Amino acid sequence: MATKSKYSVLLPTYNERRNLPIITWLLNQTFTENNLDWELIIIDDASPDGTQNIARQLIHAYGPQRIKLRARAGKLGLGTAYAHGLQFATGDSVIIMDADFSHHPKFLPAMIAAQKEGDYDIVTGTRYAGDGGVHGWDLKRKLVSRGANLLADTLLRPGVSDLTGSFRLYKREVLREVMGRTESKGYTFQMEMMVRAKAMGYRVAEVPISFVDRVYGESKLGSTEIVEYAKGVLSLWLKV
Amino acid sequence: MTRAQQTLSIGLLLSSMYMVAFLGLAPIPETLQNDLIPVLPFWAIVTFGAYLLAKLGYGVLTFNDVPQAHQELVKQIEQARVELKKKGVEVD
Repeated sequence: MATKSKYSVLLPTYNERRNLPIITWLLNQTFTENNLDWELIIIDDASPDGTQNIARQLIHAYGPQRIKLRARAGKLGLGTAYAHGLQFATGDSVIIMDADFSHHPKFLPAMIAAQKEGDYDIVTGTRYAGDGGVHGWDLKRKLVSRGANLLADTLLRPGVSDLTGSFRLYKREVLREVMGRTESKGYTFQMEMMVRAKAMGYRVAEVPISFVDRVYGESKLGSTEIVEYAKGVLSLWLKV
Repeated sequence: MTRAQQTLSIGLLLSSMYMVAFLGLAPIPETLQNDLIPVLPFWAIVTFGAYLLAKLGYGVLTFNDVPQAHQELVKQIEQARVELKKKGVEVD
């Protein structure tokens, strides 16, 4: 008989003092309601806004079995944050997501169910298929988003509808393997992970999610990001 | 094989086939040879461009807005704040 599954959520944070308690509450709510074993690993890159204090309060509130803080000395990047957090994960499945509520934990049960159904290696949330969607994007943003996806789709033909999405559930070993081969930093990291995973033959399922952009604060998508993205897609086209 | 290699290989294959047709090396009916073959590449590019544009437009038009997700989230944030404060966590 298989042992009970445990889910480790890796949450890299930088100045997420306001969002961190709420996202933790939402995670606790979802996992408890669905009777799932879980832990949250907070990888904070020395946030100056006191995120780590909040993390410690959360550890006190929810217990050290559930909440773990594994801080780092400085802003060292997303990819390495996941690698760092992964070392401490005790779950057999790992979830990566954003801390700003754009990824809502309520979709986790659906993702978990999808994973079990076909023993998939990766389950990714998609904003573009099924009844997936976005709130808070104006026409320009939608155009940029669709355009970006179209570019990636045409050049890379990845076979997933949302390539830049970063709300994913991985089998722990799969995450480790894929991360080991991924070279990009920052922006294109998530994209490269998915393209590589597909190229390595891993099986991916998709679950529609709704993405609520920027409840607090402003979206940081400018022309530099767009250029970086295009360069990223091109480099993946050449490398993978 | 990388995506780039794959794309370029297919591109090369299609180009060779086209060159055979263009140079009149293959037995093709005269009307096709004179009217269709010379303009085929341009036609292909324009059609592909139009297809991409249509896909983009369609994607933007059918973009799924989810205002209810936002509303639900705002409510949950309020609830979270209350409960977190009780547990001694600072929320601002």
